[in-house]
Amino acid sequence: MAPGLTREAEERRLNYAAHIRYWRRNLKTFLPHQYTGNDCNRMTLAAFIISALDILGDLPAALSQEEREGYIDWVYRCQLPGGGFRPAPATDLGPLRNPENQIWDPFHVAGTFFALLILVNLGDDLEKVKRREILQWLTKLQRSDGGFGETVGENDRVEGGNDSRFGFMAAAVRWMLRGNLEGPVDGVPDIDVDAFVRCVQVAETYDGGLSEAPYHEAHGGFTSCAISALYFLDRLPRKQTDGRPRGLRNMPMTLHWLASRQTLTLDEEDAADTYSDETDSAATCHDSHSFMKLHNFPSSRGKLSFQNQPPVHAELKWVGMNGRENKIGDTCYAYWVCAPLKLLEHLHIIDPKPIRRWLLDRTQHLVGGFGKLPGDHPDPQHSFLGLMVLSMFGEAGLQNVDTALCITEKAKKHLESLPWRRKLLGLDDKGEA
Amino acid sequence: MMTALFTLLSAVFSLPYRLLLAVAVSVRSRVQAPKMPANEDAKYYRDDPAWGDVEPLPQDDGGLHPLASIAYTDEYSEAMGYLRAVMADSEHSERVLELTEHIISMNPAHYTVWLYRAKTLREIKADLGREIEWLNPTALQHLKNYQIWHHRQTIIDALGSPDGEADFIATMLEQDSKNYHVWSYRQWLVQRFSLFDKEDELTWTESMIEDDVRNNSAWNHRWFLVVGGHSGHLESEHVVKRELEYAKYAIRKAPQNQSPWNYLKGAVRAAGLPSSSLKDFALEFADMRRPDDIYSSHALDLLADIYAEEEGNKEEAKKALELLATRFDPIRAHYWNYRKGLLEVPETAA
Ligand SMILES: [Zn+2]
Repeated sequence: MAPGLTREAEERRLNYAAHIRYWRRNLKTFLPHQYTGNDCNRMTLAAFIISALDILGDLPAALSQEEREGYIDWVYRCQLPGGGFRPAPATDLGPLRNPENQIWDPFHVAGTFFALLILVNLGDDLEKVKRREILQWLTKLQRSDGGFGETVGENDRVEGGNDSRFGFMAAAVRWMLRGNLEGPVDGVPDIDVDAFVRCVQVAETYDGGLSEAPYHEAHGGFTSCAISALYFLDRLPRKQTDGRPRGLRNMPMTLHWLASRQTLTLDEEDAADTYSDETDSAATCHDSHSFMKLHNFPSSRGKLSFQNQPPVHAELKWVGMNGRENKIGDTCYAYWVCAPLKLLEHLHIIDPKPIRRWLLDRTQHLVGGFGKLPGDHPDPQHSFLGLMVLSMFGEAGLQNVDTALCITEKAKKHLESLPWRRKLLGLDDKGEA
Repeated sequence: MMTALFTLLSAVFSLPYRLLLAVAVSVRSRVQAPKMPANEDAKYYRDDPAWGDVEPLPQDDGGLHPLASIAYTDEYSEAMGYLRAVMADSEHSERVLELTEHIISMNPAHYTVWLYRAKTLREIKADLGREIEWLNPTALQHLKNYQIWHHRQTIIDALGSPDGEADFIATMLEQDSKNYHVWSYRQWLVQRFSLFDKEDELTWTESMIEDDVRNNSAWNHRWFLVVGGHSGHLESEHVVKRELEYAKYAIRKAPQNQSPWNYLKGAVRAAGLPSSSLKDFALEFADMRRPDDIYSSHALDLLADIYAEEEGNKEEAKKALELLATRFDPIRAHYWNYRKGLLEVPETAA
């Protein structure tokens, strides 16, 4: 066998059978009690489970018709009387619910977003979803500065943080239920899109990333959520201006920041000695790696490089991605960093190969799924986002995904084909395919 | 450490993910969760006379095919039943504080239990100082939980004083010096109590950078104080000089550290200076005539920008980018090559 082939053959592959087992187990058995801290995020976990099986192409085989209908029924049982979905049965006051106490079982943006994703994934037509009510809730969830909260509480007070996660989910829900239309639709008012765009812009940081709020630290997750939200709202930067405010204000800097998230610090013990720096430790080091190890190349290597021959070096076999400057690589940031690059049509500024190898060789777990760091046990979030990234990179055998919605393209097409949605968007007039 | 983002959004960001998957889990019987071993310290309400008047409201898990079911402990299931009952009845009392504390100890990410507790504190006019005393160890137990910080804001806001908060933050940062929630909370504190120009705040930030020159959260906090506190501007020539010198000092300590380089470039932009004003400084670490003595990829990166802006120096810019792609920062080779490609785009088309 040629040396090149041997090397290929040694590489770990995506272990489909193990991933399918992992996700089927999550679907059909109880999560251990250590997941109690996620009790109010069950809709999120459920969406990861269903979507992961769909990405693996296993959903039809994993579910009987009865189970499919049963899961759809479960999601609808989380629908609130006033519209929207609770994120778990935990807050359901059942027969005791009344106008006075319903604020303790409120509209919840994550519950609503993930419930809709599950319904779409399971092939439901969303006819029983209180769509107008949800769209109305979105306008109440927006704060005066343009950002969104998590829930609406007593006296219509917007509760929860004020960061781009909620804006992302609100924008995604809006897109699912009314596409790109701006302004009132069918008598239902719209959110203030311009105000939201300004809210994203003021969270841009001096180093080119995006943060939770003005002058907070740039962070991969907030960057991804903000850019996905702009994508759903059709407010990403464009060459031609159309008079509408668009983020981001400094694309080259944002691309620089995103590209800088690639790191060779993959393990806690990856400490390195750095040039006259005494502070470098496992907890603090980072970009010292890419530099110091390669700096020691013999000069002949340097000459070679000038002929545009990328040096082949063991260190480059695995490249991780972090979420902030000088932090360690973490599976989920492969998604939080690659997703905005893809939506900004610049995924080509990173090399997917060593990132793929890092996921497959280092954070993929024997029992299926992915951990956060090498050696970590798998968890649904990292396992799901790891699969998303591999699919975005075109991994053979995985279904194609929609980067921002986090579902398969097939599931998205199902949503787009729904008659009520086509009618709302005026698509039926333009002739049916 | 900080997974931060996302629970995906809401959960996603800060959950205890490194759970043993292990035990699994008998097949979801659709009827009853497997019984968890009894915890000796478990607290139950059914035998407590103080709760004898409350009829718990058990969870309806939603039919035959619930998703993401959790094998709750009896203790949690029971406590949640009492929580739903008191919420349904809008009861606000001392015992409700105890109940919410109990639930928070098992599920700190329960979003309405915190809101309910905050309302109860208001309704019974509870001692907020005591609330903070309880919150301190609770936050230390749940380092990644963000609801705790939101709650703390509500309480400190009502108390109207930041006294003692700096010490508590220091304790938290000893556990994780880059904890995003803690730094965000510190920023809220500075804003709420107008501490931007308090000398202690800048001195403390410097000590955090002194401890770890790569702590980007600390660098960002400095930016927040110096620039954020002054509507996005560096307020005087004196401040400009001070900030540039500070970043340069840190870079000389550890040239391959992106945090102070980003700070330096940001400060130059905020001061309205051209990036070429940093040319001599960048050359200290990356003189392309002596490629074996290059000490910082960030210096090369900056030089590439400076050369690209100079009249007729595009070739130098390309050379810097090639050095980055092939030798000093090859993990980003695609990015450096992309930047090189941009240099070849005719000016008119840019
Ligand atoms: Zn993570």
